[in-house]
Amino acid sequence: MGKKDKSNFKTPEGYFDNFNERLMQKLHVDEAIEKLSYLPESDGFHIPKGYFESVDKKVLSQIREKDTKVIQLSPYRKYFYGAAAVAAALLLFFGLNLKRESPVAFEDLASAEIDAYLENTELDLTYYEWAELVSLEDAELSDVMDTPLETENILEYLDENIEDIEELNLNFEDYE
Amino acid sequence: MIAEEALIDQLKSPETREKAFAVLLNTHKERLYWHIRRIVLNHDDADDVLQNTFIKVYRNIESFKGDSKLYSWMYRIATNESLTFIKQRSKKSGISDEELKNRMVDNLEADVYFEGDEIQMKLQKALATLPDKQKLVFNMKYYQEMKYEEISEVLETSVGALKTSYHLAVKKIETYLKAD
Repeated sequence: MGKKDKSNFKTPEGYFDNFNERLMQKLHVDEAIEKLSYLPESDGFHIPKGYFESVDKKVLSQIREKDTKVIQLSPYRKYFYGAAAVAAALLLFFGLNLKRESPVAFEDLASAEIDAYLENTELDLTYYEWAELVSLEDAELSDVMDTPLETENILEYLDENIEDIEELNLNFEDYE
Repeated sequence: MIAEEALIDQLKSPETREKAFAVLLNTHKERLYWHIRRIVLNHDDADDVLQNTFIKVYRNIESFKGDSKLYSWMYRIATNESLTFIKQRSKKSGISDEELKNRMVDNLEADVYFEGDEIQMKLQKALATLPDKQKLVFNMKYYQEMKYEEISEVLETSVGALKTSYHLAVKKIETYLKAD
């Protein structure tokens, strides 16, 4: 007697116990039949004579060539200069205001002036510095982009620039 | 033959890297070439992708953690490089991947390194209609005679799912070949 589920449908005794085994057996039989019947043994591809003897040299010479390329010793130097420049600009900006005879409080600065300063000054901050300054929860894409970014453009960018989807470290549960 | 662990150690050491890499190249070049060739079809393209694959292997060997076998990792790189190659080419040509795949098969007729007869040509046309995963599984199983367990490591898919993909691929090819 088979087991009953809530809707009263029944299965033969032991049906699920050997289901996988029976299915795989069927697949193997099908494969064996099909391999013998109509598929060609060879797919007709050939290679130039001596190709495999020459490919080693081509790969090794490319590796040696790339190994000898000059690499910048301090790739982050430009960021240090950028950070120093930002610090100097801020010191100058606030320092000059503090030395005035009638001290000006930060609140006295018109927000338009602050906006103009931020808009016209190249802060040269790294992505990590921006990430520390701007909370991700508060940020909208429209805050940093003049024109709205279409989904199609994003997908096109990812398609062209991301070789492996795993590089994105996506948490798929977020997209369910 | 050098044991895989010893070879990996040698590949990660700057003093022995190049010598060990030559061994690696010699051991795997043919199998990787045929894997790539069956995806990109044309010999010159397969040659380019094979070279890029080995260069990536050389450049990224430090990041190989040993979670899978070395050849599985190399196969994965070769697969990604081949599929990326097709995507980039279709993008440059302004056509869809499917359209490009059909053109690639049509180009085989004039390819001096393809000597397939009518049935082999038709098989390539049938393969071009399959989704990438089914085509990969079919080629790896049927022509490269890899075990499902090996394919499973390369494509990071369960053996059961691979068997289903292979079965579906064979059915679709059969239908295509028997259509006329």
